[in-house]
Amino acid sequence: MDKTGQGFVGQFHNGEGWYCYPTQQFKTILIQAFWVNPLKAETASRAAIIPHILRRACHQWPTTVAMERRLEDLYGASFRAEVGKVGDQQMLSFQFEAVNGKFLPEHPDMLQQGIDFLREVLYRPLIADQNFDRDIFDQEKEILGRQIQALINDKGQYALNRLVATMAQGQGFGINRLGTLEATRNLSLDGLHEYYEEIRNSRPMVWFVVGDVDPEAVKRVFDHDPAMGRTRAALPSIPRFVAKNQGKVVVERQAVQQGKVNLGYFTGITAQDQDYPALVMYAGILGGFPHSKLFIHVREEASLAYYCYARLDGALGLMVIGAGIEFDDYDAATAIIHQQVDLMRQGEISDEEMAFTLSALSNEIMAESDSPSQIIGRQLEHLLVGGGLSGRDLIDALGRVTREDIQRVATKVSLDTTYFLTSDHNDSQPGEGGHAK
Amino acid sequence: MTGEILRQERLDERIHQLVLPSGLTISVLPRPGFTKTYATFAAHYGSIDNAFKVPDETRRVAVPDGIAHFLEHKMFEKADGGDVFDDFGRYGASSNAYTDYTSTTFLFSTTENVEENLEILLDFVQRPYFTEDNVNKEKGIIEQEIRMYLDMPGDRLHSNLMRALYQKNPVRIDVAGSVESIRTISPEDLYLCHRTFYHPSNMQVFVTGGVEAERILDQIVANQAQRPRAFQAPIERIYPEEPIGIAQARIEQEMPVAAPLFMMGYKEERTGFSGSALLRREMVANLMWNALVGHSSEFFSRLYEKGLINDRFQAHYSCGLTFGFSAIGGETPDPKRLEAELVEGLDKIPLTASDLERLKRRELGEYVSLFQNLEELAYVYNQLTFRGTNLFEVPEVIQSIRLEDIEGFRKDHLRAAARAVSVIFPKKVGT
Repeated sequence: MDKTGQGFVGQFHNGEGWYCYPTQQFKTILIQAFWVNPLKAETASRAAIIPHILRRACHQWPTTVAMERRLEDLYGASFRAEVGKVGDQQMLSFQFEAVNGKFLPEHPDMLQQGIDFLREVLYRPLIADQNFDRDIFDQEKEILGRQIQALINDKGQYALNRLVATMAQGQGFGINRLGTLEATRNLSLDGLHEYYEEIRNSRPMVWFVVGDVDPEAVKRVFDHDPAMGRTRAALPSIPRFVAKNQGKVVVERQAVQQGKVNLGYFTGITAQDQDYPALVMYAGILGGFPHSKLFIHVREEASLAYYCYARLDGALGLMVIGAGIEFDDYDAATAIIHQQVDLMRQGEISDEEMAFTLSALSNEIMAESDSPSQIIGRQLEHLLVGGGLSGRDLIDALGRVTREDIQRVATKVSLDTTYFLTSDHNDSQPGEGGHAK
Repeated sequence: MTGEILRQERLDERIHQLVLPSGLTISVLPRPGFTKTYATFAAHYGSIDNAFKVPDETRRVAVPDGIAHFLEHKMFEKADGGDVFDDFGRYGASSNAYTDYTSTTFLFSTTENVEENLEILLDFVQRPYFTEDNVNKEKGIIEQEIRMYLDMPGDRLHSNLMRALYQKNPVRIDVAGSVESIRTISPEDLYLCHRTFYHPSNMQVFVTGGVEAERILDQIVANQAQRPRAFQAPIERIYPEEPIGIAQARIEQEMPVAAPLFMMGYKEERTGFSGSALLRREMVANLMWNALVGHSSEFFSRLYEKGLINDRFQAHYSCGLTFGFSAIGGETPDPKRLEAELVEGLDKIPLTASDLERLKRRELGEYVSLFQNLEELAYVYNQLTFRGTNLFEVPEVIQSIRLEDIEGFRKDHLRAAARAVSVIFPKKVGT
């Protein structure tokens, strides 16, 4: 059992392991397991349907009703099985959270109950004729297809996804975490159970436990995990974003009431790099907070938008700027955004902007320790990105960042792609504002 | 000043409460071990309070729709031209605000400088500054906020349902108002609403996180002593009488979505509950919905297996002092069939005592979990307090609910004449 810097104890060897974060702060116990699968066009949908199928039925609770009733018996324990994405890796995630037994009548042992539940669901799915249940497969295939189609409903998220896909140009991170509608429609039950076994037995696997639990008890649990002790793939290293578009502008039209402009930038810096703290300060000053340049100039001064933000992807080393605007304000809004990005390059950063951003980032980082799921998210990211600073160490590093550091980082940031979702009733074309600077 | 400490022994939680002569209620719920402190300063004033009698005058006024939300936005501007976000920024807090049908809440979250940030919160909410200029400028920003909501299918679905269910009650109007209504808002309107509804007697402060209760209470008392206010009698709010029966049976709209979205609602014909009675009614309603169509119900599984719903399908009851309604629905490929199945099934599904016991356990578990999500804790605490009850009553109310209560509510609530439907249909997506 190793101690890590951020309050975790645990171990990770040969592509598998567990981490436990013992604390009396929370009233619940959160247990989360991940399988890490490379995100590929051929397999994305095939892997994405697996959590959907597993959460429907298992050996001990062979119907969804039985499974849901089991969770309710555990005082409304919550269970989520879903698919996420970090860089070019697909994360199959299984999360169980329940109130710690010490706050409940009869004091049930929720650590054991939760582990038992997850093991049952992950390792002993409902099997008929050496495969998953056909009805469940058919239903979940249909639902997954609809889920992919429904990505268009959330316009802000849709615009962001389209931007990232355009930026990727064949790089793995551009693939949707759920795959495509076509691939989903072509899914077949044949061989799906084997594929599940392949993921279960050979992909990297990691478990996290957060709550008032005894780490020794957690260790004993995982010393006897039926799926541990196999030969698994090592955790992959996530390739950085390579810019290929050089200022490309993409315009898409739909029957919308508001335009969404999203700009994607290359930074060349990821969470494991020396310059990462400077990049975090850079993005914070530019568009992380209500005191940031983009919020002040696009929203407060020009009244062009309700929101305008800049956000980093620390695993890939890319940055996105997004705003919701009037269709005709595209040129005005992008001109202000380009101007603010330029000012960052020129080092036009006040002491106040430096100080406010440092405090705001420090507040965000410290507050992560108040949320069990954020505690896990941070540790997972740390594992996947292969290092980098977090917690107090990151705050200290942010505090050492100078204006010159930020300016140096700013010169590396370059516009890759602009994506604009606009009305199908609006004829105006993006003008000069859409070009790279 | 009257103070007391409310306790919940099993959870080892207590709330320190104080009511000042001005009528301001202050509550502190310490959560030892938390890094963060989360504080709210909330007014019992929401989008439905758009007509009222001006305190100490005989005048009755109607103000533009969306003004409560507009006022919330405008509070962040200061007389010296500065911005309240900057004040919080200086002390490392993140701040925000939100408005709903019945309340307006200002908040901050911080891991340092609690005292300074609390002072900023208490001061800015009680210090309005509106000019013709700064009010007009805000209209562009709020217009973009409203347009953002107009593109959100879930938001439209709900908004249309409210217009179908209600004939007169202002819950039928969107919280943010409309692009047209907010254009008519003036600085005078804003000052009048601020003076009326942001009076301490109509507000409460709630602080939770890693704090010491005594210090927080002392600081707030000292802060408020600098601006003593006379107690103000309860505000006379003017709500139109809501007739029995819905406004229209269905509202349908086309939007660029992938599949239809369906929502069915039932309007409460009986309102006027408050305090524990309202809390009880809300819990009964939500237990009923979980029993009928919750994820563990046979009915949910049947609809799911037929491909009529996905796991985001849900049913929920919401209420205030003047309204109550249920909303049931989600994405579906076949709104007609889903509606028929629901209408056919809802009043026939057998409810059993063992279902109820299991669902009560679940409610209890969710109640305990609430204490570790400070944002949600504050939201629920504020809502319950404005309605005249308190958070610690919840477990007893859950325990007291019997199967007859649920059956009685079902008969009362699921009436065809009180039902309306909202559907969003896909519009062909352009290229």
